[in-house]
Amino acid sequence: MSAAAASLAPTGGQKDRVAWLAVPAVGYLAIVYALPLVFLLARSVTGPEGFTLSLFVQFFSDPYSWRVIWNTLRIGLLTTLVCLVIGFPVAIAMARAKGLMQVALLVAIILPLSIGVVVKAFAWQIVLRRDGVVSQFLVGTGIWSEPQRLLFTETGLVLGAANVFLPFMILPIYSVVKLIDPRLSEAGATLGASPLYRFRRIFLPLTLPGLVSGIAFVFSMSVSMFVIPSLLIGDRFQMLATLTGRSFLLMRNEALGSTTAVVLLVLAVSIVVASSWLAKRLGGTQ
Amino acid sequence: MTRIIKDGIDRRILLAGLGAGALGTLSAPSVLRAQTRELVVGGAASHKPWVDAHVAPLFERKYNAKLTFEGTRSLVNLEKMQKNKDRPYLSVVQMDDPVMILAVREQLLEPITAAKAPNVAKLKPGTIHMDGQWANYLQPWQGIAYNTNVLKEPPASWNDAYDPKFKGRIIIPSLQNTEGLPNLFMASHLATGKPMAEAARDTESGFKKLVSLKPNLLTVYNQMPQAFSLLEQGEAHMIVGALSSFALQRRLDGAPIGLAAPKEGIFPVPSGIAVVKGGPNQDLAFAYVNELLGAEIQAKIAPPTFALPTNVDVPPPPGMPTGVAIHTIDWGFVADNRNDWVRRWDREMSM
Repeated sequence: MSAAAASLAPTGGQKDRVAWLAVPAVGYLAIVYALPLVFLLARSVTGPEGFTLSLFVQFFSDPYSWRVIWNTLRIGLLTTLVCLVIGFPVAIAMARAKGLMQVALLVAIILPLSIGVVVKAFAWQIVLRRDGVVSQFLVGTGIWSEPQRLLFTETGLVLGAANVFLPFMILPIYSVVKLIDPRLSEAGATLGASPLYRFRRIFLPLTLPGLVSGIAFVFSMSVSMFVIPSLLIGDRFQMLATLTGRSFLLMRNEALGSTTAVVLLVLAVSIVVASSWLAKRLGGTQ
Repeated sequence: MTRIIKDGIDRRILLAGLGAGALGTLSAPSVLRAQTRELVVGGAASHKPWVDAHVAPLFERKYNAKLTFEGTRSLVNLEKMQKNKDRPYLSVVQMDDPVMILAVREQLLEPITAAKAPNVAKLKPGTIHMDGQWANYLQPWQGIAYNTNVLKEPPASWNDAYDPKFKGRIIIPSLQNTEGLPNLFMASHLATGKPMAEAARDTESGFKKLVSLKPNLLTVYNQMPQAFSLLEQGEAHMIVGALSSFALQRRLDGAPIGLAAPKEGIFPVPSGIAVVKGGPNQDLAFAYVNELLGAEIQAKIAPPTFALPTNVDVPPPPGMPTGVAIHTIDWGFVADNRNDWVRRWDREMSM
């Protein structure tokens, strides 16, 4: 660090004062997030006679609970995979695009975020019908011999969820790719590295922090989605979030609702923590 | 303000004026409240149009009161009553019968008596429940909604939904929804041939029969508008267990929908009304209940809600099914078993 830069950097006392800027946000989150979370956790380990883990024992002893957990993880993984496969090339294209093209791509990614999830889910209902565009395309190209239903299937759910969460995969990767100096790859080329080798050994490792962030975002949102599965696959396919919602809202079973909410929370937090650990291990900047 | 003071207005006069203004503003609602009392009614969001159009004008004029209708779901109204049990602000609730049972169990309701609501004496048998804890003011009915572009003839039997030709074309309500329950009872009746009252107790047979419907299911709905959207688009051919109040309104709006009353009979899905225990303005609350149980209001609200009136002096509106059995549901039995049924439903009806 240069002497000039060092003189501009905050001293220990200044750092302490700067930390106060976070107080409103911390206070807000403490009241509307942390406190309810404590109540939720407390409810999940409270029985008629005080502390108990019986709710969790009961939950994990039921084979149906494992089916719900598996549904949740499977849909989360598939949605993340679809977002990654579609989103990674788009993020690279966006980062490498110049001027108006880059603006157009950014707008195309960000603008759909302003459309509500319910509206998108209803739109997907039309797209996934037997006479919808997906079915017509697949029949027209000869992949399907006759129109088939995608609505209220796992495929339909994954497609709809990927559409909603795609920007959350693209944007973190884009922000990292944009910082990668293109001359690194060119330098590799001058040393005789093939395009595949340069991608695998230079470009991919440098994008890992963005990839890990995108995967963490999309996976944690996919496993906790409520409205999208409710509208695109319905009551016959339960995930942890839909089971939690139903337990509180309809069955009035706070014990089950708290338990499933905590299981979901642990799953989502585990993914975020593991991603963060992985990013650090792989030399990321997080 | 500085300029005004400089122009010669004394600061004390200005402050006094502001004080008086503030006092007047703050006290005005109290004065108004003293003149016009307010009655807060919690009901279904879908009821608001007819409450605003037919009930509120009559009630407000007759009792010099203001009616505030809070439209939401029955379970949310129950929650409001529970959370405000010590200081209730709702005076009347209009909820589904199964939710009324939960409210009775938590001692949240004030019984309706003929002395307080004389029109209770004019109700059909079976519409006053648990010693007057609540009463039914309307009975929307439940049959099979079908797409008229696809099916030229209405379904004649509840069993038609099980025909393999409807593979992936049938929608049924979830067992979480009140209108989801008749399918379970009817399935038992279809499977066993027992009279409906007896079949309704044999849910084991009902579940076995319902499981055989799975290949035909497009989906199981929680949200009625979504189900009707799929029916109107032709993706679904039938909604087995559709409410008249929704289906017939959609037909009136021009949707290609019919509502069949199958030969095995139809189910009324009663709309209940009750007075909240300890709620404000109890005299007004009973007056409101009395009006909804009375012939004048029921004659006005039965046609637009496509429901059967419960007051004996009001004839069924035109277009209501005739000559079919109307099966009533034992809501106490439902309340005792529903959570177990939902658990079983999840396991056996899942994909």
